[in-house]
Amino acid sequence: MGAIDLKQLLESQSLERCPFPIPVGWYFIDYCDTLKPGEMRNVFVFDQEWVLFRTESGKPGMSDPYCPHLGAHMGHGGKVCGEHLRCPFHHWEYDTAGWCKSIPYAKVTPPIVKKQAILRTLPMVEKYGMMWAWYHPQCEAPSFELPYIPEMEDATGYAGTRRGSWTADTCIQEIAENGVDVAHLKFLHNAPMIPPVEATYDGPVMTLNIGKGYIIGKAYGPGLNVMRFNQHGVTATMISYSVPVSKEKTQMNMSFRHVDYAQGTPELAASKKIIDHMIGAAEGEESAGFESVDFIVWNNKKYRPNPLLCDGDGPVLPFRKWFKQFYPGFENSTKI
Amino acid sequence: MAVVRVTGRDGAERALEATGGCALMDTLRDAGTGIDGTCGGMMSCGTCHVYVDPAWSDRLAPKSEDEQMMLDAIGELVELRPSSRLSCQIAVTDALDGLKVEIAPPV
Repeated sequence: MGAIDLKQLLESQSLERCPFPIPVGWYFIDYCDTLKPGEMRNVFVFDQEWVLFRTESGKPGMSDPYCPHLGAHMGHGGKVCGEHLRCPFHHWEYDTAGWCKSIPYAKVTPPIVKKQAILRTLPMVEKYGMMWAWYHPQCEAPSFELPYIPEMEDATGYAGTRRGSWTADTCIQEIAENGVDVAHLKFLHNAPMIPPVEATYDGPVMTLNIGKGYIIGKAYGPGLNVMRFNQHGVTATMISYSVPVSKEKTQMNMSFRHVDYAQGTPELAASKKIIDHMIGAAEGEESAGFESVDFIVWNNKKYRPNPLLCDGDGPVLPFRKWFKQFYPGFENSTKI
Repeated sequence: MAVVRVTGRDGAERALEATGGCALMDTLRDAGTGIDGTCGGMMSCGTCHVYVDPAWSDRLAPKSEDEQMMLDAIGELVELRPSSRLSCQIAVTDALDGLKVEIAPPV
């Protein structure tokens, strides 16, 4: 008998639940209609607080709360003035790109104010009726764009108002990894079999084909997944837009859409049943959607950077390699 | 230790003992010469402007781009000379013993 491999036995003691930084990407912040021109509020995402505001002309902005001047929290007592966010302390004003546009009492503008943005803000776009922010730890500009999603953007062809929000006590990569971990679908979700999966990677986009066309999923960075479920000639779509609240907490948001079939048609009923199936067990089914079974695992597991995989497991390691691109500066980390 | 000869805004000349390892601005501010040094050396306020005696200009470390930008910014309000410097960017060493500067007008 050989010596005991203590590393194997003791490794979990030194593992972290979520050893990852906040990944680079576009993330859902809120629905557009929750923020009117001139409004601002504090939001907590990406492991810190931010001031979310909308200018009088309607442009959304999201800034670090602390004024570069003397550090006042602009989300407590500050206000939107025209196109700017104004600090309550000395009325310094900033635009949505973080440039200081007014220091009401200075005779001389500090040179750096003319040279660069002095307040950290996040690039934002409004798409799918939602506000999205680009997070990059070194404040780099967006390196990819959000895609056209007909189910969300074609005003005539699609319907479905169902949407939901769930909080998971884990990081976004751990949640996304379940997409390639097809073996868990049989054992945790009670699917009739382990479905085959093909994952292909193209820059920030991952395409998953689960069950030979049953689910075609596309991930656009860590913050957006579009999964189309195909059954009996009917397609229903789950648009998933998760946002890292902190390094160990993720808000999972989803919208469910389907083709705008007429009331009473079997296609409409089939579409709705597929959507039921995405979330929980649909009527007459034994298998479980994510809501009933995934959280107990996510909320308690530790990430193993050196997992013990066996034949029959899905392509977990290529997924992890793909995901690593969203952690600039951590290329050589052994923890992730 | 360096003794710096300072011509004030009133034209009077004083000799000040400048503290080694600090910025000249600190000595000028603490001696009540009218130098404010509001930003503490960040080159964002322009309130420590001095005219260095031309004989000494070349003996100081050269201006950075940021210092030049701050000088340019105050140039609309006060006279600039080729020997204009921000005294927060002049590090005091023994080699500066005998340095002559004139306090520039306030912005």
